[in-house]
Amino acid sequence: MEQEILTLQSSAKELLASVEDTAQLEEFRIRYLGRKGQFSSLMKGLAKVSKEDKPRLGQMANSAKKEMEALFVVKQQTLAATNNTTASHGTLDLTLPGRRPEKGKLHPVTQIMNEVCSIFESLGFSVAEGPDVEHDHYNFEALNIPAHHPARDMHDTFYISDSILLRTHTSPMQARIMETQQPPLRVIAPGKVYRCDSDITHTPMFHQVEGFLVDRDVSFADLKGVLTVFTQKMFKKDLPLRFRPSFFPFTEPSAEVDIACVICEGKGCRVCKKTGWLEILGAGMIDPEVFKMVGYNPEKYSGFAFGLGIERIAMLKYGIDDIRLYYENDLRFLSQF
Amino acid sequence: MKFTLSWLKEYVDTKDLSPEALADHLTMLGLEVDGVTAIFPELQTLRTAKVLSVEPHPNADKLSLCEVAVGENTYSIVCGAPNVRENLITAIALPGTVMPDGTKIKPSKVRGIKSNGMLCSERELGLSESHTGIMELPDNTDHGQPLLQTLGLDDLLVEVDLTPNRPDCASVIGIAREVAGITQSELKLPVEESSIEHNNAKFSVDVENCEQCPRYAARLIEGVTIGPSPWWLQKRLLSIGMRPINNVVDITNFVMMEYGQPLHAFDFDTLEGRQVIVRNPKNDEKTFTTLDGEERTLEPDMLMICDAVKPVAVAGVMGGLNSEVTDKTTNILLESACFNAISIRRTARRLNLPSEASYRFERGVDPGGCTTVMERAVSLLCEVAGGSVVEGGTDFYGGQRPLNSQTIRISRTASLLGIDLDYDKIADALQSIGMRCKPKNDDTIWVNPPTFRIDIVREADLVEEVARLVGYNNIPTSLPTVSLSYPEQQPQRKIRARTADLLVSTGFFEAINYSFVTDKHLAMMALADDDTLRNQLPLLNPLSEEQSVMRTMLIPSLLENLKRNINFQKNSVKLFEIGKVFTPNGDNEQPIEKERLAGILSGRRYGEASNLHFTEENFDFLDVKGTVEELLQDMRLQNCDKKDKVSFRIPETDDIEPYVDPSQCLLLDSLEGTLGHFGRLQPEIAKCFGIKQDVYFFDIDFEHLCTLQQADKNFSSLPVYPAVKRDIALLIPETVQAGDLLETIRTSKEKFIEHCEIFDVYQGKSLEKGIKSVAISVTYRSPTKTLTEKNVNKSHTKLINTLTSKFNGSLREG
Repeated sequence: MEQEILTLQSSAKELLASVEDTAQLEEFRIRYLGRKGQFSSLMKGLAKVSKEDKPRLGQMANSAKKEMEALFVVKQQTLAATNNTTASHGTLDLTLPGRRPEKGKLHPVTQIMNEVCSIFESLGFSVAEGPDVEHDHYNFEALNIPAHHPARDMHDTFYISDSILLRTHTSPMQARIMETQQPPLRVIAPGKVYRCDSDITHTPMFHQVEGFLVDRDVSFADLKGVLTVFTQKMFKKDLPLRFRPSFFPFTEPSAEVDIACVICEGKGCRVCKKTGWLEILGAGMIDPEVFKMVGYNPEKYSGFAFGLGIERIAMLKYGIDDIRLYYENDLRFLSQF
Repeated sequence: MKFTLSWLKEYVDTKDLSPEALADHLTMLGLEVDGVTAIFPELQTLRTAKVLSVEPHPNADKLSLCEVAVGENTYSIVCGAPNVRENLITAIALPGTVMPDGTKIKPSKVRGIKSNGMLCSERELGLSESHTGIMELPDNTDHGQPLLQTLGLDDLLVEVDLTPNRPDCASVIGIAREVAGITQSELKLPVEESSIEHNNAKFSVDVENCEQCPRYAARLIEGVTIGPSPWWLQKRLLSIGMRPINNVVDITNFVMMEYGQPLHAFDFDTLEGRQVIVRNPKNDEKTFTTLDGEERTLEPDMLMICDAVKPVAVAGVMGGLNSEVTDKTTNILLESACFNAISIRRTARRLNLPSEASYRFERGVDPGGCTTVMERAVSLLCEVAGGSVVEGGTDFYGGQRPLNSQTIRISRTASLLGIDLDYDKIADALQSIGMRCKPKNDDTIWVNPPTFRIDIVREADLVEEVARLVGYNNIPTSLPTVSLSYPEQQPQRKIRARTADLLVSTGFFEAINYSFVTDKHLAMMALADDDTLRNQLPLLNPLSEEQSVMRTMLIPSLLENLKRNINFQKNSVKLFEIGKVFTPNGDNEQPIEKERLAGILSGRRYGEASNLHFTEENFDFLDVKGTVEELLQDMRLQNCDKKDKVSFRIPETDDIEPYVDPSQCLLLDSLEGTLGHFGRLQPEIAKCFGIKQDVYFFDIDFEHLCTLQQADKNFSSLPVYPAVKRDIALLIPETVQAGDLLETIRTSKEKFIEHCEIFDVYQGKSLEKGIKSVAISVTYRSPTKTLTEKNVNKSHTKLINTLTSKFNGSLREG
């Protein structure tokens, strides 16, 4: 019996060594390792050996079979590897360009808009959208810009009639939401806005995101904190930014927010007009008059509001130099982002 | 607001601040500096020159040959000016200089004689209108010096972008006041505060409308000589881009820029009755000629300055031709007044006459400053124009307001700004800009702002001043403490994002088009005049005809986008847009805004991809249909439940839009009605947009789509037993529709049918005319057992019989 095991082992090893392809390997498997193969018969033969020899011979037969199985797997892998190499060298040119599934792109304005909204949504702001065609009341009056206020010069307005116009900013949503909801409020309002102005840096339609937060004890320091978080997420961490006084009729104090020029890193270039700073946001503490008009008590609540232009941010992030490109929907443009 | 550094320095010591640092300080105080630039940059290479000798030109009577010294060099120059003479100091443009009008000076030959440069007149240099001869500089001027330095024009121009709340800074002194705060230095004012003693011996003033004219001061100056201003005065105006006119007008402009108070000078002898009446036009006063010679139409509420019988100026906006100061004027009535801001703004708008004066009045001038500014102007008129002022005058101050007195709470200011404050910090800040402060109680401070700060009317205004003076960048940053809440998303926003993502993943690019379009679009789409879509909302003041009405559909703009892409050799285009359309809803009402989803497909199916990878095929109807199907399935409105929420319908002739190919169009229906359509654009319509290739489109009421209830996601267990596939090749009349075949199979009662699909449709030579072959694959499966041949054959045979008998068909052999 012992001799039988050793003979089988050596003949199997010999045959395996001579195997050259998968067909031969399969033949080998059936002959030695298959259900009806020679190692199986050997195992069956063990039944006939004496009781005292059984453990020793059994162990011997078993390890011989295990060894063969392991060798078989190694051979299988070697053959597979050889096959692959032959095939690639023989038929397929791996340097050919791949067959790529077709995919479109979201408009860069939508991409930036989504990014801006998701930063504020992560901070717990809800998103509200409003009408593009607005009442004079919401666009101006409710924001403390009465008729004949010089601040109306800051808005070149498209009119539909005396009292209906295309909103010049997304700020009307402040009044609309505060009119129907009570604080605490954390809202952003993205959307299209319109001004009659058209040149290399102005299109008559563009996109803004308005945001505001109203609660008890909200401070200018909080405004600075929230906008600092935003600009650093939007551009990069540790980006220098500065707040400087400005004027909006619906906020007081009002501020404009500049970031260090992302083109020249603050050294001064054409884009930042040699100041090293780029204006990206308007903001301020909501004016008590605005609160009064929606029936909030300005002694009880305070809040801040801010607004930013999406096209401008996209221009700075992507280095786009002509704003008119946004609305030509040229695939050579759209496919770049 | 523009000023020069040297002008500013007349009133304030800027100490060791560099121009850049000064600009930075002003910006951080809310006076945003737009730029600091050298004035007359084009004159930087000009030099002073001394004429050494003058000889007549041998070949021309009017020309002279000059030898000119410029520093150590001498040049030969041909000059045609009548005033060229020996020892004259003048300005020279040497070869290489580019003149303000763009001409480049080169060495040249004039009538056969060499000339190395040009002696210049003031007009050639853009300094005045004078062109009677070359410029004459004082005899003691050195030659070879930079001209700008000699003229005192080596100066820096600062431009400040003023916000509407700071009219007090629309003046050099206003800016100087802020600078004095920065450098902690004294403000040097040209005249003391002054008042006017009443004296109507020579003229009288009557203000009929006090509301529109809170203050009106006037004085008479006699015996002036009109002429050009002295150089120092011209220089100031030139340096900020104002044209010098004559001494009297120049003084009023100079003082306006200096103090921010507009002034007006009348030729006193043209005023009938020696009278000034400030009033609205009378009924018969319909028109008025302003000093620019234009006839203006008057409105009853405009404020006019009149003499005893007629208007002589539009108050605060522009003087009249009939009372203008001319070369012959000798007596001047000078006005220094304060007019109502809104009234001036309305008038300037309606007459389309924005001016430096109306700019200041409509933002508000300091009513307290009228007489002081008058004193400044009068003293200049006497000094510069040789006049003598008549004792006293008029100062009507009907709109005098009580002393402006406000309070500010320390605790409120601290909590609004988020910083620690006390009485001293606030008072120090406010007092540095001339506000008087005293404590009212522990927490409250009385504040008296100076009269020129007309913008300070509430506590909030003072809080802003404190923030500005503390410096925004000295306020810390913090994050608000808020109660936690979950922001709800508008469902439509979520669906919109998902829809856009799906379309992008199938190769569509997103387009964004203007909300306003040309009113020609709908005619190009062949829509009838009475089509509801032609009811468009027009803009009152469009920028152009191309953007004159609010859009009622998205497709036309997408077609324009397609055309543009084709022009740039991108012929294969898949674009979509989700955007609003606008339907009028009655006068003075907001229109109805509805979001639509539209897309176009045109060109090759696999776009610009190479033939190596994909076959070269054009889009067809099934591409657009597949897109819509994919969209509906993704929204779980089709193929997700027993009943589809949206179904397709072949339209009746009346339901087909005129721009659609009637043979390739399907409508989308929900239970509530039709919500859109898709198909092939009529080729003639595409041609109207300059497109010569096939265009497929879809156009869907997106809001309607969003309101439909999406099917829930329900798990169904995976089949355990194998499926059996059987194919059927049917020969049927070509009029039979594939949809009917599939519907018949799906609804048939035969057992075990799991799925069916059409895998080939053929019509052609080998078949009888009017007959088509449709190959269908049917999948059978049982949930409880492995199907045997017998099980399947029974159902399959019955199914074939149903189909052949219902559709009058037969099985295709072989």
